[in-house]
Amino acid sequence: MTSNLLKNAIIVKPHGVRKVAAILSNAVRNHWNYQYKPGPYPKTPEERVAAAKKYGLTIEEYQPYPEDMGYGDYPKLPDIGADSKDPHYPYDCPELKRNFNEPVHASAEIFGEDRYDPNLRPRFSLAHQWTWFLGVVGGSFALYFYLEDFKIGRPVACKQYPGNGPHYLFTPK
Amino acid sequence: MGQSMGSFGARNVDLYMNDNPTFDPQTGFSFERKPREMKAREEDLISARIPPQFRDYCAHYLLDYQVCRYKNMPMLYKCAHEKHDYLNCEHQDYVLRMKEFERERRLRLREQRIVGAA
Repeated sequence: MTSNLLKNAIIVKPHGVRKVAAILSNAVRNHWNYQYKPGPYPKTPEERVAAAKKYGLTIEEYQPYPEDMGYGDYPKLPDIGADSKDPHYPYDCPELKRNFNEPVHASAEIFGEDRYDPNLRPRFSLAHQWTWFLGVVGGSFALYFYLEDFKIGRPVACKQYPGNGPHYLFTPK
Repeated sequence: MGQSMGSFGARNVDLYMNDNPTFDPQTGFSFERKPREMKAREEDLISARIPPQFRDYCAHYLLDYQVCRYKNMPMLYKCAHEKHDYLNCEHQDYVLRMKEFERERRLRLREQRIVGAA
């Protein structure tokens, strides 16, 4: 694939060889492309408009992360897990429940259907869960401490070894 | 001897499983008890590499059994009698331990009775 790209670059666009080589070296050798990096944090309203346009959002929808988080101008999208999205909507990419050119959430890897959904309605309430947890663990401990006084073993004295003292049979000499 | 409840019946005299007898072994007997005899020699047990927890009063049977196994290695069914002898001896050893436990329990009860009466 790399050789194909190089051939294309040299034959079709000889003037772009340097650019392609730079991108390839970046992507292959550094495993990263400078174009993946978001722009600087938008400070003026004009910059905000430009950033919103860049990510395909309206200016009302666009909201960057706080500057000290280091996400630059990347938009802060609502935290919606893939499980909470409508399963019957005809998405362009039904596997990811995502449309073409739809901006990707900064933490998209955790909001997949196989991972986490922050809007998930739990099957049991937290009080219910705590009640059962403390009931089971506390009940086990209560049983343990109550039965501590009722230890039962087999009715045998300790094992007799020739080393520890003389032992006797129950028959006369 | 109260096997179904284990050592539960001896709780009231604070006696539990694997406790050591505390009374003199000869008290309460009209005859002198026969001491147990260790038939296997320690050197033989060490030489046969019998682990310490098996060096009890039945070790000579275990030694016979292991020698038999060694001699008949693939045909282990030939050592059935040796194994039976060894397990019988261990059974008798266990019965003796149960008797010691019961003796200890009764002697403690007797002591309590005497102290209570006095």
